[in-house]
Amino acid sequence: MDKRILGIRRIFLITLIVCSPLVNAADIIVNRTVPAAPYSLADTRAVFTMQQRFWPNGKPIKVFTLADSDPVHKDFAKNNLDMFPHQLRRVWDRMTFSGTGISPTQLESEQEMIDKIATTPDSIGYLNCRPDDEKIRLFEYQ
Amino acid sequence: MKKYAYLNINNGLVLLILSGLTNVSQSALLPEEIDVHGYLTQGFFHSSDNNFFGQSDDGISPSLTEIGINTAYQPISRLRFAAQGLYRRAGDIDPGSIRLDYGLADLILMNHESGKIGIRGGRIKIPFGLYNETRDMPFTHPTILLPQGIYFDRSRSLLLSADGGSLYAEQRTRYGDFAFKFNVGMPLGPHKEIQAIVLGTGDAQGKLEGKPAIATQLTYELNGGEYVFAVSYMDLELDYQPAAGEAMNASTAHIQPLLFSAQYNGEKFTLTGEYNYRWNTFGAFAPEGKFITESWYVQGSYQVLPELQATVRYDVIYMDKDDKRGDGAALLGYQRHSAFGNDWMVGLRWDITTSWMLRADYHRIHGTAVLSQADNPDRQLTRPDWDLYGLQLSFRF
Repeated sequence: MDKRILGIRRIFLITLIVCSPLVNAADIIVNRTVPAAPYSLADTRAVFTMQQRFWPNGKPIKVFTLADSDPVHKDFAKNNLDMFPHQLRRVWDRMTFSGTGISPTQLESEQEMIDKIATTPDSIGYLNCRPDDEKIRLFEYQ
Repeated sequence: MKKYAYLNINNGLVLLILSGLTNVSQSALLPEEIDVHGYLTQGFFHSSDNNFFGQSDDGISPSLTEIGINTAYQPISRLRFAAQGLYRRAGDIDPGSIRLDYGLADLILMNHESGKIGIRGGRIKIPFGLYNETRDMPFTHPTILLPQGIYFDRSRSLLLSADGGSLYAEQRTRYGDFAFKFNVGMPLGPHKEIQAIVLGTGDAQGKLEGKPAIATQLTYELNGGEYVFAVSYMDLELDYQPAAGEAMNASTAHIQPLLFSAQYNGEKFTLTGEYNYRWNTFGAFAPEGKFITESWYVQGSYQVLPELQATVRYDVIYMDKDDKRGDGAALLGYQRHSAFGNDWMVGLRWDITTSWMLRADYHRIHGTAVLSQADNPDRQLTRPDWDLYGLQLSFRF
């Protein structure tokens, strides 16, 4: 009985620990169908600014974001993309309201982000910490 | 005033319908691939002299109302359809109309890891400077009024959108991101206000008609848009056909603006400057027939608080850069100050929530070049030095 509790506690600990090592940075996560490749910071920016619409395997990219005012979104923009949230907003609005592109799908909560990334093939998003879910993988870039 | 009260009741209804629509877009009524976005804005203006967007002189004009709703649909990954409807009411220039702002098909011809090439066809927004493609969407710029020396509200019919086609290319490099657009299309009318500018009178009986025009733009962005540079060029032609028995000559006006843009987007501070050099050939209309319009502005914005942004701008236009005092206008019996405009403005933008925004502008203006004929039918009554106050409430979804 004690061992089981210990086991559960260990899993719980591991789940908590898979946060990004960077201070205040979010974890960029993808559905496991997304191919691994040597992505650069520029590639990652191009994905979230909706300029790059396809993965290297030719599948269309599905981008999920959180609200501009969400602290996780702010951390993500600043520390993962090295941009300011208003720069992302400028790019998305320009495309949406001129008809030259589409903006990402904005979600309500981190829980919804977990659900969407787990169930949507070829999707990408971000979270404060990566969840322990076999359908979700950490997106790595340099 | 009664007319406005009536229209404002309508606006209230539209707001209700829009609030309903945001729920529809989130409900199961629409398939998940279709997103609906839009905005609604209501502006109020007061001026010490001269009329701007309705009877603003010695009163408060509530006559700038805009509602935009857009949607996009992507049946296959390389093909996208997008459309935006726009309702607008703006002083006496536009007593209220609904139009298709853009409606296009976008096909990606070639996609690679660092860029793409594609074509668009249909009704396409005209790329010009930093703001023109989204000029009516209030959340995309810091102040109520865009700098009038470049983004004339007077001659917006030429600048809005055109029916035609566009070729575009985007290339990301280690030295920055390039984007290029080449559009050919027929600018949409009505060109009544342009007619007043080109012919020098609002009373002409004939019709000014646009011809297919070219609009092209090259932009260069560094560090995800921290620095933005752009060059835009347009080539516009308008034909005037006089009415039977009218003393006016049939002629063609040729307008070619070349616009340079630069912007720095910092965390709290944004600095923007644009310079426009416009060749005008007014054929048989203007005495010399040819002149160059010069306009520019410098604008600084600072994010005082996370929700509060303050902006200062100086905006200049000379209709004829070689006649900055308006001698030519005086010769023709117009007031000198119709030949220029120097506008100092300060503005505050308060983003109450991500959906609601309130803005206030104050302008101290020397010159009347930006005033519309429709709002100021008797130019002799206009004054050279005037104040303009604006207040605007906007909602987005």
